[in-house]
Amino acid sequence: MNRDLRNIIIEHNDAIIQNWSKEINKLKEQNYTSDISDELYEHNNQEFVNVIIHSIKGTGSTKLVKDFSDRIIQLGWPLSYITDGLLVFRRVATNIILKQVDHVDSNTANEVLRNIDSLVEPIIRQLVNEYSVSWEHVVSLQRIALQELSAPLIPVMDNITIMPLIGTIDTERAKFIMENLLDGVMRHNAEVVLIDITGVPVVDTMVAHHLFQATEAVRLLGAKCILVGIRPEIAQTIVNLGINFSNLPTKSTLKKGFMLALEITNKSIVEMNNKSQTLDELLGKSTGSEEDHENTDLKTT
Amino acid sequence: MRIPILKLHNYLLISIQTELDDQTAINFQEDLLREIHTTEATGVVIDLTSVEVIDSFIAKVLGDVVSMSDLMGAKVVLTGIQPAVAMTLIELGIHLQNVPTALDLEQGLLKLHQEMGE
Repeated sequence: MNRDLRNIIIEHNDAIIQNWSKEINKLKEQNYTSDISDELYEHNNQEFVNVIIHSIKGTGSTKLVKDFSDRIIQLGWPLSYITDGLLVFRRVATNIILKQVDHVDSNTANEVLRNIDSLVEPIIRQLVNEYSVSWEHVVSLQRIALQELSAPLIPVMDNITIMPLIGTIDTERAKFIMENLLDGVMRHNAEVVLIDITGVPVVDTMVAHHLFQATEAVRLLGAKCILVGIRPEIAQTIVNLGINFSNLPTKSTLKKGFMLALEITNKSIVEMNNKSQTLDELLGKSTGSEEDHENTDLKTT
Repeated sequence: MRIPILKLHNYLLISIQTELDDQTAINFQEDLLREIHTTEATGVVIDLTSVEVIDSFIAKVLGDVVSMSDLMGAKVVLTGIQPAVAMTLIELGIHLQNVPTALDLEQGLLKLHQEMGE
């Protein structure tokens, strides 16, 4: 029976392809693929149906299916195109086969349906697998990219290091932050670390806990942490949640935090020329160059 | 196994280079206190750079040593705690709240000097 069915499909493949194309074109109008050019759509349909027919004949290797799915994935066509296409194919093929059989009772219908299913199923499975593999690949790439961005550490001066945090902090990221922070403190010989949470949208008890743990660990290494970038709404949530940050210096902006860090490390910023002097110079020398005279220099006191 | 305690002016330097077991830690505590007593040292630096594991008991002993030395008039600074060690301690909930720390021996000595200079 199975072989017969296969033969029937192969014999009538022209009719099947025709009906299938008609159906699939109907789908196009009301559906996702409406912005794809007719030509490309036609071409891919042709290929798709060939792939189906080949793999039903048993002549098409799995490579054929794989090549096709690779191309569809590369074009960014949705998975539903594939599944719809195969469902339509099943329906069309069933119709045509049932037309060939003179006497249709429930048994033959049942058997035809089951056999068609067994023919179409492997293709569906393989195509869906290809799709999910490609998705997982994308997701894992994105995760790596995200991790690279998740805990940068910037040594701005001798002994002062800044870690700007952006985005929500979950447990996994908090762990990563802590590791990076501690390694960075050792590597850069940092005395003060500024943790900037300007870009952290929500600070709940869990985030606070993680931050607190990180700062405590930094203290054990022998460096100081300053928490900066605390926005008004963050301050409100912290107090409302009853989180105690009292033994951790906090500042509203990175600038203020940096000043505190300079104080701790016994440093100060000294302006070499003040503005009025620069102005005098400019007025005195009409040919005065436009170079920046406002050099600031860092001095260790 | 005894841990050597070195005297430098009125400081004591200890570099712990073995894995601390409970008995060694207790011996160390006694030795150090005796040494502080005999040398009348005013500052102690305990360097933990080569220590890779600190369990809760060792942490408690270290915390105790700091408080005890404080009582005897010697300031203690722990230096060179490794990132992994710090992380485990924090995860165990051991915060060593009253223990001064520094990044390395040099900064530890500076810190002692600052605290005692004033």
